[in-house]
Amino acid sequence: MSHFLRKSLSSFLYRPTLFCCRHFSHSHPHNTTSLFSPTWLSRNSYTNGLSPTRARFWASQPAVTEPSTSDGLTVEGIISNNWTILDENDGDWKSHAAAIAQSITLIKRRLQWKKLKVRLNMLSVQLNKEDLWDDPVRAGKINREHGSLLGKMKEVNGLERELLEHIEMIKLAREENHEELELESMKALLNMRRNAKEKEIEALLSEEHDSCSCYIEVQAGAGGTESMDWASMIMQMYKSWAQQRGYKVTVMEEMPGEVAGIKRATIKVDGEFAFGYAKSEIGVHRLVRISPFDSNKRRHTSFAAVAVIPNLGDQSSSVQINESDLRIERFRASGAGGQHVNTTESAVKITHIPTGVTATCQNERSQHQNKASAMAVLQSRLNQLEMARQAQLNSQHTQSLTDITWGSQIRSYVLHPYRMVKDLRTNYEVSDADSVLEGDLDGFIMSYLSASLDKNEDDA
Amino acid sequence: MKLTLTNHTFSTLLNSSFINLRRPFCSASLLSSSAPISVKPQVPIFLRPPIYSAKLSDLKKWHNWAKSVASSIGSSFVQSDNGPDSEILCRELKWFVEDVVEDKHWLFSEMGDGDERVKMRADLEELYCLWKQRIEERKPFQYVVGCEHWKDLVLSVEEGVLIPRPETELIVDLVSDLVSKNEDLRRGVWADLGTGSGALAIGIGRVLGNGGKVIASDLSPVAVAVAAYNVQRYCLQNKVELREGSWLEPLKDMEGKLAGLVSNPPYIPSTDIAGLQAEVGKHEPRVALDGGVDGMDALLHLCDGADLMLKPGGFFAFETNGEKQCRELVDYMKSNRSASLCNLEIIADFAGIQRFVIGFHR
Repeated sequence: MSHFLRKSLSSFLYRPTLFCCRHFSHSHPHNTTSLFSPTWLSRNSYTNGLSPTRARFWASQPAVTEPSTSDGLTVEGIISNNWTILDENDGDWKSHAAAIAQSITLIKRRLQWKKLKVRLNMLSVQLNKEDLWDDPVRAGKINREHGSLLGKMKEVNGLERELLEHIEMIKLAREENHEELELESMKALLNMRRNAKEKEIEALLSEEHDSCSCYIEVQAGAGGTESMDWASMIMQMYKSWAQQRGYKVTVMEEMPGEVAGIKRATIKVDGEFAFGYAKSEIGVHRLVRISPFDSNKRRHTSFAAVAVIPNLGDQSSSVQINESDLRIERFRASGAGGQHVNTTESAVKITHIPTGVTATCQNERSQHQNKASAMAVLQSRLNQLEMARQAQLNSQHTQSLTDITWGSQIRSYVLHPYRMVKDLRTNYEVSDADSVLEGDLDGFIMSYLSASLDKNEDDA
Repeated sequence: MKLTLTNHTFSTLLNSSFINLRRPFCSASLLSSSAPISVKPQVPIFLRPPIYSAKLSDLKKWHNWAKSVASSIGSSFVQSDNGPDSEILCRELKWFVEDVVEDKHWLFSEMGDGDERVKMRADLEELYCLWKQRIEERKPFQYVVGCEHWKDLVLSVEEGVLIPRPETELIVDLVSDLVSKNEDLRRGVWADLGTGSGALAIGIGRVLGNGGKVIASDLSPVAVAVAAYNVQRYCLQNKVELREGSWLEPLKDMEGKLAGLVSNPPYIPSTDIAGLQAEVGKHEPRVALDGGVDGMDALLHLCDGADLMLKPGGFFAFETNGEKQCRELVDYMKSNRSASLCNLEIIADFAGIQRFVIGFHR
């Protein structure tokens, strides 16, 4: 029944030009090394056997026209309607639709949509030139890129069409009082909402090392015990955040403060996309509160710096380290050593002499393990350094990597006289400071990640 | 892939050391089928079943108490006998909790009302008692938890057995380098005299090839029992054989046959024993520390052993008290054993102290 309705619908849903493009959606070559390559798109495989004549034929068609419902609703229209987005469970169709439209918009931003369209048009022009195949290598390249970009565009347009189709279906079902169909379409819409959310996150986290595990380092700023306490609160916040996300947390290094808190600490966060999310936290975090360490109950401002380094593990991009470039120092109690001394202190400090980069590990229970862990940290730091170097060479690289110098203040946590946590980059703010300090950071992270996309688009 | 051997080695080390930490290598039933051992070794806390439980709030109460006790020490132990300071003690407390509590996530969680129960491998009362012993009696941390992490191994230790020192790890590295280039020595019979917890024997047993084995001897029945337990945990029963007895005595059948001889014998001069930090002097077995008037008694005996037991081309490595003993030992060998021992070398430990004497049999 519903199947029949769906079929009849499609006849008035789309303009003919759309169909024209749709027929070829299975036959575009796929280029994995393209400028825009969010992971979700690489899942589609396009067959790579396009003949030159055919390429010329379809490249001459107008690329894609913006889809809309029979009553003229478009995805952009949904966004501008500003429908309230409710929780998945108690959402009505407008809420779902708005959420999906938001995801689609974000994915488009990630793809640098406008730029993609311009590039696609340019490639189409190239493909239509008569002498294209005089240089088969270049032609192949153009052909592949064109196919890849077109594929991406089609996937997004596919999402848009699917959304509008669901909406149309729900409206139709309501008009005809067809409950079963309405229910089914709502279900489909909800499914799509979840799917789109997933694709949105994947699109957000599609930079080179986003999927990696990472190290998070926190260092107390000037200001003695109060800021050391702040550093340990921040570290606790990340531990909780990571655990709530299901990541495995390992303390690598911890220098406790004399009275309370920590001077510095490093944790390892293991899990998919740990770096992609945590990189949003790089920078200086500021706390304002009545210090519990001040007998006069005065208000204090303290700072803690956060660095996040991807753990590239065994990936091929690891920097090669020569053993002869390393100075390995082991901390031992002074004196005779050997049988004279029984200490559980077995810290290891490794210095990479050519760069001066060091790594220390003291939390493992044998020197052997401390050395192995310190080596892993050193490897990551050198990789990070190399990434930063390459980022400077390649101006297209993202902002976050060069910010590792801990220069800028990114977020303010005020516990007195009012309670508020505010991100200074995105202006995202939350008044429940306690929940943030208990690890509820995703709002900040997501808003930062999508804001970074805006920035990239502006730069583009 | 541009991976270097170095990177690869490190990641392998990392993996293996993380994986090996908690898992017993053999089932416990294997322990009963071993050679006649009169002493029953203690099971380290981290290998005991989590049959106890405590309310989270009670456990936190203990933890706070233990932490405050540790913090109150400050640097007073450092000043009195170069013992541990608060920072070290607090870190030990963290490891203690890791060994005792089955799911250590409670450490991070600020959630929960404290009524939930935490599974543990030791009774809460025992925890109070053990930490008191650690602080008040200066019982070594390794005896408190019953194990020491040494190289990538976790070795069971208890009172009566010397806790292996990180310096000694270097002997295994030296042997590992040597046998990787020498097939004959890799397949030969090695001996570790005064094995204690079995650390050297197990470390070497793991780098020997097919046919290679280690005979580990110790005078102390407790040491032999603990070493046997450790050997079984690493499933090296076929590679490491334990013999009870003093130095060369249990190896009479091996004269002129050994591919290698290693030892970390007692080498502290008797007069120095009284000044040792409390963890060592008051708790570790004197027989494993006291090397006689000048600390050289056992070392000189071992020189004779190297002469007698090693086959041509065989290797030896002994740990000493430092530069003075190294020199005296080399002098002794040069003037009395130069017909049999050669290529003598003094090797420094990681702190730069001349620690080991190594050489070969002609």
